[in-house]
Amino acid sequence: MSKIGLIISREYLTRVKKKTFILMSFLGPLLIFGFVLLTSYLSQENKEKYEILVVDESHLFDSILRNSDKYHLQWAPNGKDYNEVQEIFKKDDQLDLLVYLPVNLIKTNSMTAKCLYKEIPSTGVQKHLSSIINEAIELYRVNFNNIDISTYKSIKTKINLDVVDIENKENRNIQRKAFVGIALALFIYGFIFLYSVQVMRGVIEEKTNRIVEVIISSVSSFELMMAKIIGVGLVGITQFIIWAIVTMIMSITIFPLLIIDKFDPSLQMNSEELVNNSFKIDPNNEAIQFIINEVQWSYLIVFFILFFLGGYLLYSGLMAAIGAAVDEEADTQQFLLPLTIPMVFAILMASKVIDDPSSSLAFWLSEIPFTSPIIMIVRIAMGIGDSSVEIWEIILSLFLLTITFIGTTWLSGRIYRKGILSYGKKASYSDLFKWLKN
Amino acid sequence: MSSKNIIEIEGLHKSYSNHKALDNINLSIGESKIFGLLGPNGAGKTTLIRIINQILEPDQGVIKFAGELLSRKHIHSIGYLPEERGLYKKMKVGEQVLYLAQLKGLSKKDAKHKLSYWFEKLGAETWWNKKVEDLSKGMAQKIQFITTVLHEPKVLILDEPLSGLDPVNSLLIKNEILELKKNNTSIILSTHDMNSVEEICEEVAIINHSKKILQGSINEIKKNYEEKLWTILYSGNQMNFTNAVWGGWELMNHIVLNENINKAEIKLLNDFTINKFIKGIVDHVEILEINKKTPSINDVFIKATTDE
Repeated sequence: MSKIGLIISREYLTRVKKKTFILMSFLGPLLIFGFVLLTSYLSQENKEKYEILVVDESHLFDSILRNSDKYHLQWAPNGKDYNEVQEIFKKDDQLDLLVYLPVNLIKTNSMTAKCLYKEIPSTGVQKHLSSIINEAIELYRVNFNNIDISTYKSIKTKINLDVVDIENKENRNIQRKAFVGIALALFIYGFIFLYSVQVMRGVIEEKTNRIVEVIISSVSSFELMMAKIIGVGLVGITQFIIWAIVTMIMSITIFPLLIIDKFDPSLQMNSEELVNNSFKIDPNNEAIQFIINEVQWSYLIVFFILFFLGGYLLYSGLMAAIGAAVDEEADTQQFLLPLTIPMVFAILMASKVIDDPSSSLAFWLSEIPFTSPIIMIVRIAMGIGDSSVEIWEIILSLFLLTITFIGTTWLSGRIYRKGILSYGKKASYSDLFKWLKN
Repeated sequence: MSSKNIIEIEGLHKSYSNHKALDNINLSIGESKIFGLLGPNGAGKTTLIRIINQILEPDQGVIKFAGELLSRKHIHSIGYLPEERGLYKKMKVGEQVLYLAQLKGLSKKDAKHKLSYWFEKLGAETWWNKKVEDLSKGMAQKIQFITTVLHEPKVLILDEPLSGLDPVNSLLIKNEILELKKNNTSIILSTHDMNSVEEICEEVAIINHSKKILQGSINEIKKNYEEKLWTILYSGNQMNFTNAVWGGWELMNHIVLNENINKAEIKLLNDFTINKFIKGIVDHVEILEINKKTPSINDVFIKATTDE
């Protein structure tokens, strides 16, 4: 094995053999799943049953407001006004919610129903209440106008708007797809930092224990730096591949079992909004259908790896230079800040890019190499074509990223070469420029 | 150029942006010799070592290795033990020594073979699967010593190899150094430990303020720094001793050991000889012992670097 190969394999093997790496390989996907489950669980109504006191001033709702075991409605005693009922509601611990239906609600379109709570109800509960009230009003009006209920049902429609790109029919529902892009962008951001910081730490370790002097008497300092960057980068790719495989296995096996009825409350809400229950979708299946069928995983993964690598190479070279310039990790702060700002800025700008993926802001952020790995993956996730990003933009972005990382790596190499042999003095920016010039 | 020199350095200059690190250094390091490279902190020793290791390039000057211009091909002929403990703390000892041996050009098989010899020799057989961070300082130093000598370099550069070692391990490493020399390894020893310089080095050079201020064999250098100092142990009256000989000498120190026994340290001036002095005092006091005082390398070092 060549010496550079030897260094790459040491950098790689010492990291992948670590217990923390093995643990993270399996814990990572579990944590992500756990997080998804937790957020969907938290946004669920967690009560089994709601006791709801209804004040119906018009007395028109009692026969038509849909009652159920879960959302159990009970009517406020006759002769009590709204204020008195509020007192009853307050005193009775069994009651969860108080729904106030003003006298004119059913006759006009402008009134608002009220829901008073002791503990704030989830959005799911709120949606349910507004949907049963709407449903009751509709039923009242159907009867009032002597319309046959089956006729009404046949008239009432619920359409979904499918937003499709005329040039490329595959490009549909791109905003929804952007969330996959955001997730991948966060991964790229996390991976770039995680692994480029590892490069920096490795450099600091070699510098402080002076083994670097032994190694660079065998290979050049630039070769050592590149071998370290490549070795650690391979660790990142390995981790990603393991995560992808573990996630895939978990998606197919454990995930559907765990989340039945719980996943994606928004889809449940959609179903709640339907007037009757005749058309009920299994929310799980649709979510999984979306993830499996609509998201273009094959090219997303390829571009993810390319942009991760590009971003990683760009940042890790600079991180190696920082590692070489300091004697201990505590001194790195002043140099790290300028590197983190563009990445954090890119993450913050991602939502604007989703709003208008073909805007000039989106274009420039996805071309400038310091932000492109994050923004471009969001645009790619939204679909390649006129609607989001054109293939030439991706090629240009990758080209610029490559040119820039070659440039920064060359500059970093110059700082690294001087830095690793300089001890005891806290390097300043002016030192870095001096090292660059010499 | 002498074929007995393994390293010849001529007119070496190296400057950093704000100061001169080496100023016209000329040095020759004899083959199979232990060469002491001495100098105060910041004198330029580390820069010189780095240039020999080809970590740094000189601004000017020539280095020859066994008569050839120093080049990358000589890397495998040099072993370097840096001053700080140069090992990866989290890595296992076995993996680490194999890695470093391969970087020095040994095959894995060769390295394993040689390692088993050295591990046994230095009593490190059971450390193979230990992490470096679990080793004591002395143990880590032995491992580092093994990684430095494993590829059997012609030249060994040892930077403070004995610092922090207990007397037993210090002696062990010293003996290894002497044995390596016996097997024709040339050794450059950079240290502030003047006792070990005196014990094992044959030649020394002192660098101060980026210049070489002296070089030569230990005996030669000591002789040059000799100041014709003698210590005389005598029995008798101090007044009789000091008044016996007029002129030609100076009393440097005088100690009364007990009521009648004294120890005097004298310095002979100009051409005055010890024989003349003895002749002068022999009738006045009884001479018990007379010794020539030779300077230690420590004395030479202090004198040479402070006289600058």
